[in-house]
Amino acid sequence: MGFLRDAGHGYDEFGATDAALERVRPVLEFLHDVYFRVTAHDVHHVPEAGGVVVVSNHSGTLPFDGAMIAANILFERERLIRPVADRFLPNLPFFGTWLTRIGAVTGSRGNVRYLLERGEGILIFPEGTQGIGKAFSQRYQLQAWRVGHAELAIQNGVPVVPVAVIGAEEQMPQLARITAGAKWVGAPYFPVTLTPLPLPVRYHLHYGEPIDLSAYDADDSRSLADARRWCGAE
Amino acid sequence: MKRRILVTGATTPIGRETVRRLVEHSSVERVVAVGTDGDSAISDPRVEYVTTNLARHRSAHDLLFGLVREIEIDTIVHLALHRSARREGAHVRALNVDATRDLLKMAERHPTVQRFVFRSFSDVYHLRPDRPTIIEEDHPIELSPDAPQLVRDRLEADLVLCTAMGLSPLAITVLRMAECVAPESGSQLHDYLSSRVCLRPAGFDPMLNVLTVSDAAHALTLAATSEAKGVFNIPGYDTLPLSRIIALSGRLDVPTPGPVVAPLYGLRARLTGTDFRYDLNELRFHLGGVLDGRRAKEELGYVPRMPVDWDRRDG
Repeated sequence: MGFLRDAGHGYDEFGATDAALERVRPVLEFLHDVYFRVTAHDVHHVPEAGGVVVVSNHSGTLPFDGAMIAANILFERERLIRPVADRFLPNLPFFGTWLTRIGAVTGSRGNVRYLLERGEGILIFPEGTQGIGKAFSQRYQLQAWRVGHAELAIQNGVPVVPVAVIGAEEQMPQLARITAGAKWVGAPYFPVTLTPLPLPVRYHLHYGEPIDLSAYDADDSRSLADARRWCGAE
Repeated sequence: MKRRILVTGATTPIGRETVRRLVEHSSVERVVAVGTDGDSAISDPRVEYVTTNLARHRSAHDLLFGLVREIEIDTIVHLALHRSARREGAHVRALNVDATRDLLKMAERHPTVQRFVFRSFSDVYHLRPDRPTIIEEDHPIELSPDAPQLVRDRLEADLVLCTAMGLSPLAITVLRMAECVAPESGSQLHDYLSSRVCLRPAGFDPMLNVLTVSDAAHALTLAATSEAKGVFNIPGYDTLPLSRIIALSGRLDVPTPGPVVAPLYGLRARLTGTDFRYDLNELRFHLGGVLDGRRAKEELGYVPRMPVDWDRRDG
């Protein structure tokens, strides 16, 4: 079954392809079922169709949390949620290209708006690299929670589904960051981790009820500020 | 209302196809085709071929206030721009920018011209990793002073028209077109694919959108015969990764470390005199970018219909 809208040659406009998704599916199944033993609670809160913004906490040095949320929704709800990656993604050779093939998009407003307008779902980590790159000593501490996702949801009239990921914090303890030379490969830093590979931690995904933001007005700055505050506080 | 249309650059592949389509259009009763070589490819009593150098003010003036006034041309479709990326200097700018500005100014005070359609290029958009992959008409433009002259000229000509929108008595339409992969159309990609071996930056495989001569002419015809005005992206039918383009063209795709690609293509250009410039395409070959054609679809009724014939690469 195809999850992507083919722009003519088997790829969508962002470069994702169903063939790449099919190839990566057994790996995702192994990671989801065997390695990280994902337990999901209330995944039915993710609508089966239509635009939706899924937001989650972010941790673990490498973005396996994003992969597990996307895999869980793919397996349980049979829909592809597009992970929104940080803006350095297109600079990364090989890895950046591979991520776009399996559905990730760069985090610009234009990309996100385009996807929501055509009824796709997106996965946003409001903490960004601050979340995934935090030190082991900061585990289970939310970093600055950006609220741009709330604006996007209001502007596009779609619900926000919050997800809490528990388990990823311990998968790959980060001891330090090296910034020297990282720009050469397009990354913000090189993490120094306790283990070279993620540990087989147990993942728990808790999906919250969809948040309907339709009462807020995208063109009213006071209303938008209320929504931002609310989403930030939640 | 029956249209009487002047087409500049009419002896280029897109110009020829546009003239052909305009003649077939029911609302067009007369076409004046302006070129540099007087190629009269279409023999139709409604088409008149004129040879003139638009870079010379006097020639352009004589054309507009002579034949064009006499025939009562109401629409100008301006396609005449230098196509080679290697040619630079004041004489190139004279056609690319000065002639465009000159033509617009004369058209504004012309007694019969009411509409100005300009073929622009997707090169005017600034590509950056943090910008959207899908390029809308309000995408930031390439204002870097380090951009090659070809890009700066195209942008300046585009801006000459855009800044006149709403202020000019003319209805102005700017069509920012995806790259037209065809010979003699200034296509960098066509030249890139003319080699048996195509070097691609290793680790990158950007999504590109390409246009055919047929769809370009279709969009120009729609713009010339409609009442729509403003800036429109004109995407092509084919949206695909660079590696797929190379494969479909039957070329050998050689992923090459990024820093080596530019010197190798520089050497190729020096030895063979080819037109492909890696510095013009470096960002595109890393980041890609696909034009969003929704506005053209809604207001012009333009939908790309013709895929590129990759064996011939002439659409």
